Amino acid sequence: MFGLGGTLKPTQCHPCHGRDTSHCPQCPTWLSPVCVCAQFFTGWWIMIDAAVVYPKPEQLNHAFHTCGVFSTLAFFMINAVSNAQVRGDSYSDGCLGRTGKLTLQVLLRGSFTCWVFPLFLSADTNVYPGLAVFFQNALIFFSTLIYKFGRTEELWG
Amino acid sequence: MRGPALRRGLPMEAEGSKHYARVCTGRTLISLSFGGAVGLMFLMLGCALPQYNQYWPLFVLFFYILSPIPYCIARRLVDDTDATSNACKELAIFLTTGIVVSAFGLPIVFARAELIYWGACALVLTGNTVIFATILGFFLVFGSNDDFSWQQW
Repeated sequence: MFGLGGTLKPTQCHPCHGRDTSHCPQCPTWLSPVCVCAQFFTGWWIMIDAAVVYPKPEQLNHAFHTCGVFSTLAFFMINAVSNAQVRGDSYSDGCLGRTGKLTLQVLLRGSFTCWVFPLFLSADTNVYPGLAVFFQNALIFFSTLIYKFGRTEELWG
Repeated sequence: MRGPALRRGLPMEAEGSKHYARVCTGRTLISLSFGGAVGLMFLMLGCALPQYNQYWPLFVLFFYILSPIPYCIARRLVDDTDATSNACKELAIFLTTGIVVSAFGLPIVFARAELIYWGACALVLTGNTVIFATILGFFLVFGSNDDFSWQQW
């Protein structure tokens, strides 16, 4: 589920404008997953903080926790679909096949909706609970994007 | 007739380098132990000082104990020639990062909930930093040795 591994490599090297990036400094292999996972968990702790400071439903409606739950489910399910399956390069269909692309689209749009949905709610005098929901889902959404599209897959280790 | 350079089947240079490695390892181990003690000292100061006197931050000890476990399990299970080894390593990184972030988030949430003072929170966060740096140093220095080789079992 956690992808097929990969390193965060620079896509271009401006001094040479060529394809040979072997002389460019490479990011450590572990840096990208650590930053993304830290972002993901920071989002959740922001929401936990808001829930602790504003425990009453009038201040922070408990229904807003579902946005974070669905964003988290989207994070796990998006990473369960490999980029090769989305492009159609995979030799085996697996359990998703061509529906992998559709699943990815649905989950990304759902995660984005969970992120922007709180913006359209009526603002109360206390804005921190709304901001907490917004930033939780923003962090989870961007961590999903970076984890999914910000690395290169290495199928064979 | 063997020369004086050979003793117990080893040349003198190899024995000297082994002794030097043992001394360095001993000093590193002592330094890491000292770091761990300092980290725990900060944690206990954040709990036991008379002006704070709240022991809620001791819950971060669970995170200290849990943090090396995913990496240790992944190292035992991983086979570098296998394609799934990257998934196993990344799962270990995911869980370890979650545990570390939670260890920093918990004292902050305690302080926000007014269970502990912000001064105690700062002491606990300092202790967290020292302890996790110690654990990281331990794995960097001693983790490269394959102490869990099959021969030892």
